[in-house]
Amino acid sequence: MATLFRGQLRSFPANGHAAFVPQIRKLVFECCDRWPSSENTRSYLFTRLVELARQNPHVEIVVRQRIHREPIIRGFYVNNRDKVVPLNGLSLAEINQKVHLLLDSSGAKIKHLKRRNVESTTESTRGIWSGLHADRPAL
Amino acid sequence: MATQKRLVSTAAKMASVSTAHLKTFPPREAIFKKTDIPKLAFAPETWASSQRPPPTALTAFAHRIGLSNVLTDSDTVARVCTHDSFTTLQKQRAPHQPLEQTNGHLAPLGNALLGLFATEFVHTAYPHLPTRVLKAAVSAHVGTLTCAAVAQEIGAAPLLRWHRSVVQDQVNHSDAMASVTRALTAIIYEKRSLLAARQFVHSYLLSREIDLRGMIKFRHPKTALLEMIKKLGREYPRSRLLKETGRFSNSPVFVVGIFSGVDQLGEGFGSSLKMAEFRAAEDALHRVYLTRVPNELMHLPTSTFPAGQGSIFEVEGEEQPHQPGSLGLAEVEYGRSGKSSGGYHN
Repeated sequence: MATLFRGQLRSFPANGHAAFVPQIRKLVFECCDRWPSSENTRSYLFTRLVELARQNPHVEIVVRQRIHREPIIRGFYVNNRDKVVPLNGLSLAEINQKVHLLLDSSGAKIKHLKRRNVESTTESTRGIWSGLHADRPAL
Repeated sequence: MATQKRLVSTAAKMASVSTAHLKTFPPREAIFKKTDIPKLAFAPETWASSQRPPPTALTAFAHRIGLSNVLTDSDTVARVCTHDSFTTLQKQRAPHQPLEQTNGHLAPLGNALLGLFATEFVHTAYPHLPTRVLKAAVSAHVGTLTCAAVAQEIGAAPLLRWHRSVVQDQVNHSDAMASVTRALTAIIYEKRSLLAARQFVHSYLLSREIDLRGMIKFRHPKTALLEMIKKLGREYPRSRLLKETGRFSNSPVFVVGIFSGVDQLGEGFGSSLKMAEFRAAEDALHRVYLTRVPNELMHLPTSTFPAGQGSIFEVEGEEQPHQPGSLGLAEVEYGRSGKSSGGYHN
């Protein structure tokens, strides 16, 4: 009979069941201030960034210089992972899409959509079939 | 390739400090000035780990957990995220500067509040739970590991300032992280009220899932069930074989039910008759211990406190009427000689 050590007992996360904690903590915009590939990013920073920061007070927004390189945004998440998205060749609307992609993400690694096994902390609602508990087949 | 990997992993482990909010960078002590009296060499890692996180990160943290109105300035957030062990580091590194505020007073108050809210919640939700399981459930809900996990999940890890002391009083990273959650509870109690702190604890800690069934461990469930039935004045329990298959084969399955008169108390399966009977007794006891009061019918004792701002000693208002919960079955203790060594129910 395994003894339970109270210092080792823990509970499992349920983000969103009662309170939801957005998983993004920091968004870093990196662009060059001269090259034309960063043109749209620069205009996004000048026109839409302040409004974005105001609407998302839970995110720390940082702007950095990244000279002679393509513009990128980096999202830092609560699970210590980060996502990097290049903004090369994107219009303002597309940049906005990418920003919101990072804001809405959880930072978890992307899993294949079809090859996943069912993961659940609760039992199945209808129960697992048991031959000994089912009715005998009748003709 | 291997050296590159090592360099990357070492760089990742080192604290990275944002310098945008600093008034002067590099810091004055980093610039080497030859003096007659030799000074301690400047250690960038120590400097980095003792820096306060940027105020933007602190306010973002407050907004992320929905406490931007409670943690109104970044000083309060910095205080909540600084463990008491940080003073040792500060005294070593910068003895002449004023000591930073820590959560040394907030954390024990928060811990007491967490224990109060968790105990009343678990006891009201599961009135028949044995005491040791109740204590285990409380540890699972608000223990150190859970508080540390909650602090990690709300993003307090890069904001935490602590010091793993070398000589005495070793501090764990888990302990330091757990102090953040406890300090948050305490600061909500101080700035708002007990009921507001209770709401925080219910949302972030008591809504998490625990494996309560796994905490109930049996050694003699049939005897425990017998004692319980005697107490309740029911008929003597009898186990009956309900279904079986594969007897004398290499994979038999027996389904045994335990009955008190005509009422079936529990059912269990097993590859032997004894195993199935054991599981049936366990099932019967689980059905009693794990009866849960639905949330709509739960009346927590702390609800009697008036809803108003201030500590429980200062708050003004009418007390709410107390609604006592149902009394659970008193615990059955039988034939136990001396101390038990394992399990939570004998």
